[in-house]
Amino acid sequence: MTEHMKLSRRGFISTMLGTGGALVMGLSRPVVAATLGAKPWDSFGEGAAFTPWLQIDPTGKVTVYVTHPDIGNGVVTQACSYIREELACRWEDIRAEYAAPERDHALGGVYSEVGGPLGYFSGRSTFEDRRTAYMTAAAGARERLKAAAAEAWGVDASEITAEEGVLSHASGQSAPYAEFVAAAAAVTLAEEPAPKPREEWTFLTKASPAKIQIPEIVTGRAVYGLDVRPPGMVYAALRQSPVMGGQLVSYDFEAIRDMPGVRAVVEVKPTEPGEPDRIKPAFPLGASVTGSAIAVIADHYWQARTALDALPVVWDDGPGAKWLNIEMMEEAAMAAVRAPGETVELSVGDVAAEFEAGGTVVEAEYLTPYCDHVQLEPLNCTALITENSAEVWAPAQHTQQAFFVTVQETGLAPEQVKLHQTYVGGGFGRRVFGDDTRMAVAVAKGYPGVPVQVIWSREESVRQGRYRPLMGAHMKARLDDDGLPSALQMRVSGGPGFFSNGLANTAFPLVVPNAQIESTVVRDFHIKAGPLRGPGYNSFVFFHESFIDELAEAAGADPLDYRIRIYEKWEDEGWVKILNVLKEKSGWGTPLPTGQARGVAIGNWGMGGRPQHGTTLGAVVHAEVSTEGRVKVHRIDVAFDSGRVMNRDAVQVQLEGGAIFGLNLAMNEKLNVQNGRIVEGNYDEYPLIRMADTPEIHIHFEGLTDHDRYDEIGEPPVGPVGPALASAIAQITGKRPRSQPYREHDLSWGGGEA
Amino acid sequence: MAFTLNVNGTDMEVDAAPETPLLWALRDHLRLTGTKFGCGIAQCGACTVDIDGVATRSCQFPVEAAEGVKITTIEGLGAEGEHVLQKVWTEMNVPQCGYCQSGMVMAAAALLKDIPEPSDADIDLYVDNICRCGTYPRVRQAIHRAAELLKA
Ligand code: FES
Ligand code: FES
Repeated sequence: MTEHMKLSRRGFISTMLGTGGALVMGLSRPVVAATLGAKPWDSFGEGAAFTPWLQIDPTGKVTVYVTHPDIGNGVVTQACSYIREELACRWEDIRAEYAAPERDHALGGVYSEVGGPLGYFSGRSTFEDRRTAYMTAAAGARERLKAAAAEAWGVDASEITAEEGVLSHASGQSAPYAEFVAAAAAVTLAEEPAPKPREEWTFLTKASPAKIQIPEIVTGRAVYGLDVRPPGMVYAALRQSPVMGGQLVSYDFEAIRDMPGVRAVVEVKPTEPGEPDRIKPAFPLGASVTGSAIAVIADHYWQARTALDALPVVWDDGPGAKWLNIEMMEEAAMAAVRAPGETVELSVGDVAAEFEAGGTVVEAEYLTPYCDHVQLEPLNCTALITENSAEVWAPAQHTQQAFFVTVQETGLAPEQVKLHQTYVGGGFGRRVFGDDTRMAVAVAKGYPGVPVQVIWSREESVRQGRYRPLMGAHMKARLDDDGLPSALQMRVSGGPGFFSNGLANTAFPLVVPNAQIESTVVRDFHIKAGPLRGPGYNSFVFFHESFIDELAEAAGADPLDYRIRIYEKWEDEGWVKILNVLKEKSGWGTPLPTGQARGVAIGNWGMGGRPQHGTTLGAVVHAEVSTEGRVKVHRIDVAFDSGRVMNRDAVQVQLEGGAIFGLNLAMNEKLNVQNGRIVEGNYDEYPLIRMADTPEIHIHFEGLTDHDRYDEIGEPPVGPVGPALASAIAQITGKRPRSQPYREHDLSWGGGEA
Repeated sequence: MAFTLNVNGTDMEVDAAPETPLLWALRDHLRLTGTKFGCGIAQCGACTVDIDGVATRSCQFPVEAAEGVKITTIEGLGAEGEHVLQKVWTEMNVPQCGYCQSGMVMAAAALLKDIPEPSDADIDLYVDNICRCGTYPRVRQAIHRAAELLKA
């Protein structure tokens, strides 16, 4: 029986968001990108389109078609790397363009069939099916080029070599690819070549090319969503019901009609409940529905924004207003975990009997708050809607979903919709569902015939998020005589849409002989949840690993050695390997000055209950807490096991960024609620780590097990960094932060005052 | 109201209300979109431009105050990427999503002009822009590398 089946038998509900959830590893490439001026999908110019993935023009320049928007993780460059490996062209001859979803639709899913219904998104850039698609296309092009040259030179194709964009033969004949592009396109091969096996790679896993779009970024030429400027474009400033689920009652256009540049006010009504799907979506269209909103349209953005601020608007807040403050919601979440859960997620052995047996029993409660992505480019989207057409420019994290929601919102046929993917100023999960695109299309529908750029102010972007959900947890364990847990009970809760799927992303409950996990949905939470960099995982690792730390304390054990004893029972040696690397490299156990300590934590993103799946990652955080309770993080050590890595430098920077993201989430981030409204709106109220607060970060590749997978990198650090810091804080201060963010806790110690 | 702005060495006309932030005059009226909108309240630095040699957050700088000064945006720093920071940024794979990076580069350029061999503390002080992607370690390394190249 496979491990996976064993786990299913144990009742683990593995409702993964695609095997990999892929938030950060979605990607894409925009050098010229499908922004303004780019060629429509059906005009490949004079080049030879070898497959939908690849085109070579008569000068030998190669265009790679990429489905994943690059949100900063280098996915476009990875796609180009596959082509480079098999085509053996010059790196500088490669450019990339986003694969248009309308082309996908017209050609029966040529792109989205790779990766299933989430084809434009799922499974990261190193997803095997995607790699195979690119490499097969490029190998086919290479062999066709060889065949065309062989024909012209009167030699056998197998004697021709292809290197750095040049075909050559021992006879002395040689020519650049460009010369044979046209002839090659007409070649029919008896058999399509298979991609090279890993042992023969010369570029993949060896070279670490920097992102190919960087020259565009550092000159300011890169066109993000907010940078598109179609002719005649006007701007819309947007305001949605400040309490999610509320309704617009009235507004007074007359009050702003004569303000400079003002053209119109457009009201957006909430999507009708139960609307039928007009197209088969990637993510459920329910996640994209619009709420009640109003937009002021003007010639220039500042005019629109100024007029919106001056516009008298009356809202009916609806039922969400009953939540007077966040403490009420926190209490509701915690009340839900103090009773048996409504769903049993995992049940092994007999937990109740163990607890009755007595001995050392440890109990603790934890909480993580609502957090916003605060991606640096505020939400926005530009749309031109007419009676029989829609053209949309979207900084989407899932291009095809943006296309789908446009079809859904306009009621147009898919053939009438055109979607331009722009550069994306940060995603982290926020731009996946397409609710931003849909809102912009809804506004533009109300002002047809003119391109409208709909801009969420920073405050609007933060207050109308799809957040990391508020989640509560109650944990209870009984320790055996050897100090290890013999029983574990965990109860978790959150509002609608919280991520119980993340429960499968840890080995901990799988190695405790008796384990029970239960969950409860708090149905009247009105605030919308969405995926945020490692959804579910970024809370569950905090719960599990903080609790393990408390168990280690109760057992009088070193937190790192204790984890080795727990995780050596798991059938994936990566966990212990990582812990040993951290022990050796982080200075673990070496003395530190008073007021400083190291904490450790480990987790896995994407394993879904299975060994040798996903990426396991451990972190050691070296922190200092002043007696007044001020926290300073000096250093973070990270070791990980994604199996193997494709582009070492791309992995390095993603892990650094992810560690900083995880640190900020744990230390700083929380949204408050007042009468149902989100309080915080901008970076002054929602602090982010800056250069001066950034610790030294050491990434250790020695944890890799060389297992045959290239798993995800963006999400994994976000889980363990937070609990590792909590552990260090607890060791220094004797006060364990059991809720995030830690900056809310009084961490003074040793007679200091906060 | 009409204002004449000197941007990247050229005089340009902007017709806008006097209190309009320079950021929007650049992005929207002059279509110089390399300067980014991140927060609008001088917190993030995505909108950083050079005004008479000083790195300035253009989202809090009214257009009426922008007459009679010399404004340099990312487009004017090195249109073809020839500035040492642009080169080093590219080689060292600094940007992730890239959205904060024109502001980062403009802040770093002002730093190197004032302090050709900056310490880590100088970098902390001059480049306190927000990067949600967490590129800080690379930004720091790249500034040190650019300083070395400039010295050579
Ligand atoms: S937009 Fe000006 S500092 Fe953020
Ligand atoms: S690179 Fe994305 S915000 Fe800095």
